[in-house]
Amino acid sequence: MSSVTPTKETPASDGNKPLPLWNPYFAGFLLGLTLLASLLTLGAGLGASGGIARFGAEVESWIAPSHVAASEYFGAWGANPLAYYLVAMFVGVVFGGLISAVFARRIDVRVEKGAAVSSKYRLSLALGGGVLAGYAARIAGGCTSGQALTGGAMLLTGSLVFMGCVFAGGYAAAYFVRRQWND
Amino acid sequence: MISTYFSTDQLASPQALLTAVLVGLAFGFVLERAGFGSSRRLAGIFYFRDMTVLKVMFTAVITAMLGLSFVVGMGWISLDSVYAMPTVYGAQIVGGLLFGVGFVMSGWCPGTAAVGAASGKIDGLVFLGGAVLGSIAFNETFPWLGWLKNWGYQEETLYAFGMSRTVFGALFAMIAVAAFYFAEWAESLHGRQTYLRSPMLKGIGLTMVVLAVAMTLLPASAPNSPALAAETTLVGLEREQGLLSSIEAGHDHVDPDHLADRLMASEKDLVVVDIRPAAEYEAFHIRGAVNVSLADLATRLAEHKNQGTIVLYSTGMTHPAQARDALARLGYRNVYMLTDGLKGFVEQCLKPVSLRNEPLPPEAEAKVQAWRNYFTGQEAGPASASLAATVSPLVSRDWLQEHLGSPNLKIIDVRKQPAFSTSHIPGSVRIDPESLRSTVDGIPSVVLPAEVIAAHLGLMGIAADDTVVIVADEKVRDATLVGMALSRVGHRNWGILGGGFDVWASEARPTGSALAGVPRTAYEIEPGADQFTVTAADIAPLVNSPKVVIVDTRPEDYFAGEASDEARAGHIPGAVNRPYSTDLGEDGWLRSVAELAQEYAKIIPSKDAHVIVHCRTGHQASQTYFVLKHLLGYHNVQWYDGSWTDWAARPELPVATGA
Repeated sequence: MSSVTPTKETPASDGNKPLPLWNPYFAGFLLGLTLLASLLTLGAGLGASGGIARFGAEVESWIAPSHVAASEYFGAWGANPLAYYLVAMFVGVVFGGLISAVFARRIDVRVEKGAAVSSKYRLSLALGGGVLAGYAARIAGGCTSGQALTGGAMLLTGSLVFMGCVFAGGYAAAYFVRRQWND
Repeated sequence: MISTYFSTDQLASPQALLTAVLVGLAFGFVLERAGFGSSRRLAGIFYFRDMTVLKVMFTAVITAMLGLSFVVGMGWISLDSVYAMPTVYGAQIVGGLLFGVGFVMSGWCPGTAAVGAASGKIDGLVFLGGAVLGSIAFNETFPWLGWLKNWGYQEETLYAFGMSRTVFGALFAMIAVAAFYFAEWAESLHGRQTYLRSPMLKGIGLTMVVLAVAMTLLPASAPNSPALAAETTLVGLEREQGLLSSIEAGHDHVDPDHLADRLMASEKDLVVVDIRPAAEYEAFHIRGAVNVSLADLATRLAEHKNQGTIVLYSTGMTHPAQARDALARLGYRNVYMLTDGLKGFVEQCLKPVSLRNEPLPPEAEAKVQAWRNYFTGQEAGPASASLAATVSPLVSRDWLQEHLGSPNLKIIDVRKQPAFSTSHIPGSVRIDPESLRSTVDGIPSVVLPAEVIAAHLGLMGIAADDTVVIVADEKVRDATLVGMALSRVGHRNWGILGGGFDVWASEARPTGSALAGVPRTAYEIEPGADQFTVTAADIAPLVNSPKVVIVDTRPEDYFAGEASDEARAGHIPGAVNRPYSTDLGEDGWLRSVAELAQEYAKIIPSKDAHVIVHCRTGHQASQTYFVLKHLLGYHNVQWYDGSWTDWAARPELPVATGA
């Protein structure tokens, strides 16, 4: 298996180089097997935004518990929105990523951006993109994991439409936010 | 057959949560090793600079697709055991476009940002914070924009744009391989070392395509009986190809109007098979159809194999399509599906002309009338005329929308004018709840006697065995008052539309302004149905008795005697005060059953306790009666219709004041 050389965004100090990334096709194959295992055991595919939204419900109910309980969307999740399999999966994803990064020596606390822009600029785009993606995932009932990957593998018509629209939206807006990666 | 936590309804069990954590660990680990802890790399796809996202994603999708097709094709798992997200075109298009913009802005999506944050990327953490805020924003804007989520909702989850899943899968694999070559080529333009000419990529591409094409030889769904399973191993490629070409040409469908005509003509050798569960068949089926379960199809239909015409139908199209494919593999050449299933049949042939969006030409109108007479007439037997089950006291909007147009579904709209005339749920009839009340035996504002109510209902075209859904606006008590009238004549199957008309309309569900032309009926009263209405004479001996809980639902100041519109101020001695408005939320609708149950448990000792509810005229108390009796399941609730107006005007009855 040949491998891609680590790119420059993962700087390496001497003698303590990060492990190389996996071949993307090999990574994709293992990701596919993970998804298949999820479908055959849980009976549901991968998901990330569902867990995040549950955190949203939890956070909002710290501030306004009765308001959340009475709200039509979050209210339907009951008194304990965190008791949900996608929350458990999200916790797994964080730790899976952490374990991998630690063993690959890729832990690196920083703002990833092009040299030409300030951290503030990059972080405001990250925040805005997060709000938009979080909102959009609630409309569509899933994100790249739940709709595109899982629904795509199940060949669900709606998920394939979603996948196409994600790329359409991304390519349409790419020009306007390209500056953040300029070095 | 594999059963999943989803299929056994155990997704919330500790074992399922542990499994989800393990799946998540693997998911996060692979994402990190793929390099997805980097926003620059993720964003690269949008500038054709770094196409890793495309390669990893498509390889994963094709791998899982092939794996799933294989286990389904081998009959190891049924697709029903896997949760399939519903098809909601509008939501998926709008959501997809917005999500794509968020993706390219931030360089993250939710799963990858979690991995990025875990490996120290501050921008990943900020994205996650944003996504939490975005979810909260969705909840907050749900009353105005929540309809987006259901915009373009399809009754049935659709697969593969209507193609055979495996054939589409083969095409999809080819597209993916082409995309890999495109990705490698695009990266090579940036001078990167690529796999464009590597034997590895050729090997992967070939393997994917060959496997995906091989999957088309497997059955599209799990066989349902051992007999079927044994015979499907005899599948021949020719047969499959013949099947595919006939599907392509649409030869495997029968349109509802053709089927209706053929059934009315009593065509010989026409077998119409309803493959829904027996209970649903019992409730309603197309006249002349037989009920056969999927497992018994092959044995029950053997005598009709390649003789005459077999037409399969279910509620929608998925199951008949699967059953038809399975039968075709057993050599059946004469199996057809009813286009759009039972829903399509009801919609096209049985929906009353008055409820249709577009006027029909006279000859078509006559045709519909003939179909309706034949398929919903007396000969079909009483079973076919009734809906599946008793409606729940709070009818869901989805349920109502799904059953709109059912012959014995009646909708009573209790909203004021001109709201009703401007817009209402198609087929509704309006009644002012006040027209069901008058002075009876000298007591003002009580619900009319059963025979008068029955006459009203008859004029509205309602019969005793109809399913009635009451639609209100924010005044739930108007709906519950009509509910009291229905209970008085012994009407069994009724419920109130949850959320009311305004929420229905805000979700862009069907509305119209045409008036439903309904023929009068002779409503048959169930004698002795009203055991729940009590009078002052019934309550007088119970004053201050520990055996009964009298719930006064008027506002606090009226209960205390500080305010009064009646002969005397105060309340019945021993009564407890629970204003009807306490049961309503900010939106004016009933609060959650769980909360209400908790609060009433503090006032009323047990579900069997004797409870009497009253207010000033009986109107508000009808809401409390509905909550206690129909939502919370208190068995022994009675209603003092005369209420405080009556009690206060009888000087011989005792009155207490103070809180």
